[in-house]
Amino acid sequence: MAILTISGAPASRFEDVAHGCSRLLGFELITESRISKWMAEEFGETPVPDRAWRPAAVSILARLATEHHLVICLGGAESLFPASPFTLRAGIVAPEAHRIGNVMLDQRLERPEAKTALARMDREAKHQRKIRSGRTQPLPDSFDLMLNSGHLDATQMTEVIQAAAAARRLHEQGLLAASVEAQMQFETRLKLARHGIIPAGQARLMRAAFSHPSEQVFANLLDFYRIPWEYEPRSFPLQWDKDGRVIEAFTPDFYLPEFDLYVELTTMKQALVTRKNRKIKLLRAVYPHINIQVFYQKDYQDLVFKHGLKEAVR
Amino acid sequence: MTAPPGIERILFTEEQVNQRIKEVAAEISARYRGRDLKLIAVLKGAVFFLTALARAIEIPVKIDFLAISSFGGSGPGMVRIAKDLDHPIQDEDILLVEDIVDTGFTTRYLLQTLAGREPRSLGICTLLDRTVRRIVPVPVDYRCFEIPDRFVVGCGLDFQQRYRNLGYIAVMDPEKS
Repeated sequence: MAILTISGAPASRFEDVAHGCSRLLGFELITESRISKWMAEEFGETPVPDRAWRPAAVSILARLATEHHLVICLGGAESLFPASPFTLRAGIVAPEAHRIGNVMLDQRLERPEAKTALARMDREAKHQRKIRSGRTQPLPDSFDLMLNSGHLDATQMTEVIQAAAAARRLHEQGLLAASVEAQMQFETRLKLARHGIIPAGQARLMRAAFSHPSEQVFANLLDFYRIPWEYEPRSFPLQWDKDGRVIEAFTPDFYLPEFDLYVELTTMKQALVTRKNRKIKLLRAVYPHINIQVFYQKDYQDLVFKHGLKEAVR
Repeated sequence: MTAPPGIERILFTEEQVNQRIKEVAAEISARYRGRDLKLIAVLKGAVFFLTALARAIEIPVKIDFLAISSFGGSGPGMVRIAKDLDHPIQDEDILLVEDIVDTGFTTRYLLQTLAGREPRSLGICTLLDRTVRRIVPVPVDYRCFEIPDRFVVGCGLDFQQRYRNLGYIAVMDPEKS
């Protein structure tokens, strides 16, 4: 297996770098939201106790690593796996001024308020790191590569990490052998058993296989703007029969975890749009807390015209 | 200028555009009076709006320009700055001037880029706001017009690099152009 971990301080935008690396290297991106989803699948909706978080995460990631190379983008990710020929652990640092600027932007604050908010975020991150790695600060040797976003933009950092991955020959690493995974699962499950936790072993990572060329173009557009996305990560049951079996469900095309937003593309014929609109209306009624944005055929054509991609979606 | 082919209707006349720009400029003048305001526009579309807006603002302003790489549709492209600002923006009040905000993709990237350069404040002023298209939430401080979900040209907005110089904003059907 090849594992690239990318972590950094709050508001350092290490997530943007991780997303770019995932795309350039062709590794699967593991984010906080995906780990949370898998944790829920594995261990139920009851939160995993803090002390069990690390073995629980390693158990899930080891299973995924038997089928995929991974970019792990989590606070404290560098502590999940020890230094080895198949890991590359990158840390992103950013000048405080940059991080304050990002908080100003994200939370619509003036600079003094943003500074206070960042201090709070740092405290929370330290608490989380303590839970996950036992330390409030990473040890200097926890990273193989440190990059400063004060002098490198996200694209440049992505390219540096890509070069480092090539130098380490990460691509040449095979996937995690089943026997090694079994050993890792044995060890992690022993730790989890101390907390009374038994993983169900259900976490699976589905590789995106787009059903329409327009979805590929839209994914490229999101990648271009470094916006993390997931393809069809969740189906929403809409109707059930009298026995409680799902008879109708809806699976939005994309999920944008950064904005907690689902996006549905509809490039099909207008006659079929009505049926999809009905499903979306039902989705909003059954799941009022779910944010979904629909891109209709004409919207999409305009976007494509604007970017000169007319032929790409035909 | 003769209406170009494909124009369906004029959404906002030149008079309406100019009047609305004056109103927004007055709001901006009031808010930033006594402060150090710099207008930053993204090449090329926002140039027309920035020029009109700057002339209508009643306080001294500085201007600067950015350009970003364009999306090619395939391959591992990523947005990046193709032309950077000529001067730092540290401790300045920055107003990002856009011709149109729709998905929010470009605006989000630009705000992130500018926020890291220590401005005193950072706001957005757009000629057109197509909120129905919004995917990425971006906080728009000033908008001249909210527009329907149609393809529009004029006042800096183009179709295949043409029609930016129309003084009005028109709905266009690209298929008929």
